[in-house]
Amino acid sequence: MHGARRTRQTPEAIAARKQREQSKLKDYLSLTEDVIARRKKSDWSKDSFDLTTRVLQINPEFYTVWNYRRNIMSYGLFVESSPESINDLLSDDLSMTTMALKAHPKVYWIWNHRRWCLENVPDGPGDSHDWKKANWNRELAVVEKMLDADARNFHAWNYRRYVLANMPERRPEAAELAYTTRKIEANFSNFSAWHQRSKVYTSLWESGQLNREKSIRDELELVKNAMYTDPNDQSAWLYHRWLIGSGNDREILESEITAIEELLEEQPDSKWCIESLVHYKRLLIKNHSAEFGAEQTKGLLSQCVSFLLQLQTLDPPRRNMYQDIVDTLSAT
Amino acid sequence: MAASETQLYVDKHVAYIKSLGDNKDDLTYHMTAHLRMNAIYWGLTALCIMGHKEALDREEMIDFVMSCWDDEAGGFGAHPDHDAHLLATTSAIQILVTHDALDRVDKARVARLVILSLQQPSGVFAGDSFGEIDTRFSYCAVNSLSLLGCLSDLDVEKTVSYIRACRNYDGGFGNCIGAETHAGQVFVCVAALAILDRLDEVDHETLGWWLAERQLPNGGLNGRPEKLEDVCYSFWCLSAMSILDKLSWIDSDKLISFVLSAQDSEGGGIADRPGDMVDVFHTHFGIAGLSLLGYPGLIDLDPVYCMPAHIIEAMGLRKGWKALPRRKT
Ligand SMILES: [Zn+2]
Repeated sequence: MHGARRTRQTPEAIAARKQREQSKLKDYLSLTEDVIARRKKSDWSKDSFDLTTRVLQINPEFYTVWNYRRNIMSYGLFVESSPESINDLLSDDLSMTTMALKAHPKVYWIWNHRRWCLENVPDGPGDSHDWKKANWNRELAVVEKMLDADARNFHAWNYRRYVLANMPERRPEAAELAYTTRKIEANFSNFSAWHQRSKVYTSLWESGQLNREKSIRDELELVKNAMYTDPNDQSAWLYHRWLIGSGNDREILESEITAIEELLEEQPDSKWCIESLVHYKRLLIKNHSAEFGAEQTKGLLSQCVSFLLQLQTLDPPRRNMYQDIVDTLSAT
Repeated sequence: MAASETQLYVDKHVAYIKSLGDNKDDLTYHMTAHLRMNAIYWGLTALCIMGHKEALDREEMIDFVMSCWDDEAGGFGAHPDHDAHLLATTSAIQILVTHDALDRVDKARVARLVILSLQQPSGVFAGDSFGEIDTRFSYCAVNSLSLLGCLSDLDVEKTVSYIRACRNYDGGFGNCIGAETHAGQVFVCVAALAILDRLDEVDHETLGWWLAERQLPNGGLNGRPEKLEDVCYSFWCLSAMSILDKLSWIDSDKLISFVLSAQDSEGGGIADRPGDMVDVFHTHFGIAGLSLLGYPGLIDLDPVYCMPAHIIEAMGLRKGWKALPRRKT
């Protein structure tokens, strides 16, 4: 159970609650008994289908009943149905699970059932793909509502990626970039949106739709904004690390180090500034020390060590981590 | 021990876990039937770690597990008459191993026809025949196959290649390709790789850093950046850190205090965070985490299998993880 506050109940209060729940409990038990018995008999009737609706409305976590519901459709309701009524049935199920998700946004089984429905929507009507297109297009609107309610819900983000990758009429990926911009501008600390952005960019670069160097320069500007807005927010710093990557581009690495040093002057105790400087200076040593020689390498190393010592006082819970890195650096 | 005023209320937690089966007149008890097998595994493991394995009746528990066998699908459901699922099957195997009763199942059948049949062409595992995929299920499969002694039937490279594809630049793993890093998925992926002797797939320093950054000022750990701390996420980070030998990278005193503060000192049990309702899931992960942190008086937990360490050791399955030394007081 997550986020449910504890209340101290007297034995009398517990007994009274149980008394109140008696009839609910009796109803639930007879419903589940009925549904399990029908399932055992491979009863694929509409009547049993309606029964699964009632059980799942009370308990959407009852995965066996979701399975039974799908089997009723596959082996019963679909068998004698026209494509049109199959489409109607599945559209109804999509609506029903939209309601269920509003009340239970983190129940895996509901999200799964939705995928199954979506994948089984017939093409039609006729030779067109309109049913399929309509249903898949609607999914994006649904998942956007879910992300409006909780912008970090990873079920919703996973589902979003799944829909975008599989919808019959693909949306241009640039549209997804715009979506993550909106999410990030609404809240800089939404790491899920930053993450999505990193995936979209990777794909846009791989397909040659965007120029990697140019995007990285643009992104460094955006992330700098976030870093200046709240230097303690991890999301922007993590994304910044992704942009720098393995640090092969010496020019970017050095200009970012300078930019972070400027921010550090304004925020002399910013752990994330110092931590990132250590990381980027280490990358500079690792990738480029052959270019600038032993003396400068020594200087960078000693800067890293003194930053790491400072971090041990600034961020005591992780002091052993900083010390371990000092030891690694001393060994090189 | 730090100047913490609280202690672990072992007797209360034992009583709480024992009482869980007595709530059959409670609606919540029946509404959570789909988790029964997992709940028994959580309760049993927590009891073992507290040194009170005998608090629940062995025969009764084994009978329950066997009554959840789904012969048609081949596999265990979460409850009698519930469909077989890899999550319940893994818990069932863990319970049987803990009670040294694995001879009750046809190991080869479970391994080949059930677990291995769930592997997808991409290398990931599905939870059941309906095909939901998740790296959690890869871990369940690897863990179960290892406990069944059938790991040699697994296509290791194929399994590892999917996990590798889920790795993100922060060193962590998501539940499928493209997904955000999440502490729970980090645990399942790292533990699966540990069982397969493939920890070379992990960027130890980067992931260790990401995990250490989960610790918040109140001592608890969150599961993703800029989220709230939680006892269960604390465990998932801890187990991965102990597998990577990075437990010293966080403040263990503060984390112990956080877990202890999430206890219900009257009714027993541990919650997700202080002041919330307890449940057996967080009770188990709280106690399991305390064991890894060296809390005095507890039995060693194996973070790879999330079972008592002596059992895994006796089976010859121990990997090179490191917990903090057991404290005397
Ligand atoms: Zn939790």
